[in-house]
Amino acid sequence: MSSDQLWNWTSPVWLVVAVLSIGYLRLAHGRNRAQLASFLFGLSALAFAFVSPVGVLSDGYLFSAHMVQHLVLLLVVPLCILLGLPREQSERWFQNARLNRVGRILAIASIGWICGVGAMWFWHVPTLCSTAAQEPILGFARDFSLVAAGLAFWWPIYAPASRYRLDPLRGIAYLFSACLGCTLLGIYITFAPISVCPVFANPVDRIGILNALYDAGLTPGIDQHIGGLMMWVPPCVLYVGAITSLLCRWYSDIEPETRIRKDYVEPRGASI
Amino acid sequence: MSTEVATPYEPVAVDSTTGLLSWVSTVDHKRVGILYILLAVFFLLVGGVEAVLIRTQLAIPNNTFLSPEVFNQLFTMHGTTMVFLVGMPFFTGFSNYLVPLMIGAKDVAFPRLNAMSFWMLPFGAFLLYFSFFTGAAPNAGWFSYAPLSTKPYSLGPGIDYWIVGLVVMGVGSIAGAINIVATVLCMRAPGMSLQRVPLFVWIMLMQAMLIVVTIPPLNSALALLSVDRWLEAAFFEPVRGGSVLLWQHFFWIFGHPEVYVFALPAFAMVSEVIPVFSRKPIYGYAFVAGSSTIILLLSYSVWAHHMFAVGLGTSANIFFSAMTMLIALPTGVKIFNWTATMWGGSIRFTTSMLFAIAFLIQFVIGGLTGVMFAAVPIDWQMTDTYFVVAHFHYVLIGGVVFAIFAATYYWFPKMTGRMLDEKLGKWQFWLWLVGFNGTFMVQHFLGAMGMPRRVYTYADNPGWALLNGISSASVLFMVAGTLVLIWNIVSSLRHGQVAGNNPWDGFTLEWATTSPPPETNFDKLPEIKSRRPVWDQQHPDLADWKFAKTPADSGSRPDRAKVCAWAFVISEAVFFVLLLVTYVVFNSQATGDGPTAESALDVRRTGIFSLFLLASSLTFFFSEWCLRTSRRGAFLFWLATTILLGITFLCGQGWEYYGLIANDVTIDRNLFASTFFTVTGFHGLHVTAGLIALAIMFTLGRQNHLTQEHAKPYGAIGVYWHFVDVVWILVFSIIYLGVFQS
Repeated sequence: MSSDQLWNWTSPVWLVVAVLSIGYLRLAHGRNRAQLASFLFGLSALAFAFVSPVGVLSDGYLFSAHMVQHLVLLLVVPLCILLGLPREQSERWFQNARLNRVGRILAIASIGWICGVGAMWFWHVPTLCSTAAQEPILGFARDFSLVAAGLAFWWPIYAPASRYRLDPLRGIAYLFSACLGCTLLGIYITFAPISVCPVFANPVDRIGILNALYDAGLTPGIDQHIGGLMMWVPPCVLYVGAITSLLCRWYSDIEPETRIRKDYVEPRGASI
Repeated sequence: MSTEVATPYEPVAVDSTTGLLSWVSTVDHKRVGILYILLAVFFLLVGGVEAVLIRTQLAIPNNTFLSPEVFNQLFTMHGTTMVFLVGMPFFTGFSNYLVPLMIGAKDVAFPRLNAMSFWMLPFGAFLLYFSFFTGAAPNAGWFSYAPLSTKPYSLGPGIDYWIVGLVVMGVGSIAGAINIVATVLCMRAPGMSLQRVPLFVWIMLMQAMLIVVTIPPLNSALALLSVDRWLEAAFFEPVRGGSVLLWQHFFWIFGHPEVYVFALPAFAMVSEVIPVFSRKPIYGYAFVAGSSTIILLLSYSVWAHHMFAVGLGTSANIFFSAMTMLIALPTGVKIFNWTATMWGGSIRFTTSMLFAIAFLIQFVIGGLTGVMFAAVPIDWQMTDTYFVVAHFHYVLIGGVVFAIFAATYYWFPKMTGRMLDEKLGKWQFWLWLVGFNGTFMVQHFLGAMGMPRRVYTYADNPGWALLNGISSASVLFMVAGTLVLIWNIVSSLRHGQVAGNNPWDGFTLEWATTSPPPETNFDKLPEIKSRRPVWDQQHPDLADWKFAKTPADSGSRPDRAKVCAWAFVISEAVFFVLLLVTYVVFNSQATGDGPTAESALDVRRTGIFSLFLLASSLTFFFSEWCLRTSRRGAFLFWLATTILLGITFLCGQGWEYYGLIANDVTIDRNLFASTFFTVTGFHGLHVTAGLIALAIMFTLGRQNHLTQEHAKPYGAIGVYWHFVDVVWILVFSIIYLGVFQS
């Protein structure tokens, strides 16, 4: 298999990346370096999901590659976009009554939760999963809906304006229950004796790489196995990371510093 | 969320404060806590004797001191006893005693439930140990792996006693844990925000939450095993289509978080002991608290590292290996916190502190060998050898038991009003240090040399006799240390130095009251403005709140009945999810063997009866509304309608069962029938339990005992009733509509 076949340099995703980059650079005033880096990383991840072998293989070859693409679109890209928005500018944007209403609706935890976890479950109903992999229009709808659902999911945790965010303890419950949601789906996909997405069980060998994949050990059974584990473990690690950040938020600025007692004498002699 | 601070129920009046009856009938959290601890001490001795017998048998090669059968019974009972009758009661006891004191409460949230939780334990223990009198104590290991534990391979009643005993004790554990959760969330004194609770309280809250979700998978597994054994189903019999790996999955989904159910309280104890004896606040409170939360979350995704050798596939092994290494991080971070707390402190080497320091070192050894096992190839080499035995005893004795000893020396003065003798304490410490390390360190080498575990004897291979001899002889040091401890406790109770309120210059609220505390715990509470209120009170110049602010207490406490109901519902949800997973595992593919959901079930008829159940949620909601607005007649009407709708649903289920059984579709017919009857049967039991609760409410309502002020507890029953409906929606979708069917 030639490595050229595995890259799709002409993917239309570049257009989306270009539009978003220009929009961000022109509109997002007051951004700091970390925010810029986060946004650019999100766009790189978006491009990666379609241009790299992940994008090519997820197009009807490997369920596990599809799973990686799914997770990047649902969890990584929206997270990076939200973290990339400058706080003060966002506050100004969301003073607009309409945007504020959208922000408030998205701040309802159950909506975000259903969007995030629901998108994971919904697109893995066997017929939908297969059809979306075969029909470009449905495939586009799926990819778009994943990013949108991801934005809704992360909104109550990392909304750029803090008034939309859940308080940290509720946020932890939100993320932990989401983790359970994807764990259950992951367990089902990993251990299911049936093909969850039948199109990957009998791939159409468009670019002649199927034998190479099978020779590498990526047979449909093992492929689904890895896909299920991808659904299960990396999102949970990401959620645990986010929970850690919420714990930091909860405890932040209140950590007592170790005080030096009044009668404490600095030891003399050895110095490091 | 209510805004007012919850006040405890009035203390229950007990006729006498001394004598046996006062202890049996007590609902005081301190006495219940001490009962837990005494039970744990008793079974520590029982489990210890079992361990001594095991090591005596293994002291020399080819020994015939014990028969293989008795050896199997002993190691099974040793493991089960130490986990369920020593570890859990010790921690629940300390938690019961200390949590209300530390948060400035008069008692736990539900004192009567607390007493019930405790008495389940001796009852379960009696059932477990009664098996010895039947001549067939359980002998399949504390994990009771299938198919060894199924009827064809374990004909005697031992496993049955094991199942029933564990279910009874599990119910008690869950109820006790729910109580702790409700106590911490709802009963904190004014000023005690959740960011200010002592680390002991926070970590015990995490542990209680973990118990709430950890025991149900065991109960699911036990339910399936009992259906296999008593009703001849075949969940775990491969010959009839069952899966032995399913037992391992379910058992370790319980079993691995259970390790943290043990480790977290040990962390909690040393997090109190080390700062006090270093005379410094804990270094990095947020790290210790936060990492405990992370452990709680991660502990659920590492169970399969117990199953690396069963053939889950390389990809699964790699993922679980990575997750296992990941969970070492939040555990490891605490070691740095405790070490940094000691760094620069003025350390007092009391017996308690010595045990805490030994805990640190030995737990690191146990933790490091744990990380070794996370590497799949090392696991394959070492699994089922004495290296594993050494590893988990370093965690459970070197870590957990040493922390319990540290806690005993630290809090004994508070519980009894007398100090334990320090000289005898140090004797015990050194005897245990030598005995423990002598017994288990050499087992690492034995494991590396290939000595298998769970064997009643071994051949005289080079070096094995010497190392086993050292291991067995060292046990004597631990026995001697234990005798010293018992002597210390007995003599200190009689002649020990009087402790006073705060003998260690401790920081937290339990030291603000007398030793032992009065029945209602406090006459007066110090002002709570930081994490160390007693330190602030005694050292006003150096008060914590002057130097570092902690978030002020908002004063809002959730309603305890709602917290209790939700915790219970979450626990039950885990139980049902695993039963439904079982259904999906066995029914997602048609096997063409016997009845299936399509061929045996009448979807339309059950759908209609389901509507009755769903409607009952609505009528319950109306009844709740009427109770809140004090409309008694309407309340009774809607409640009676709810009960009738529930009964109608059960009649529908009965009709369906009758039809199935008449057509020879019985629980032992095939895996569809087994899973169907198990899932719907347990749901039916839950509906029945809900109906009984509603009937009690109806009777109370008719007698005018249920008024507007009881709306919250009534609402808590509603949470359960709605939950039963939600479960039915899932059951109906999965079983009747076949959502997961191919």
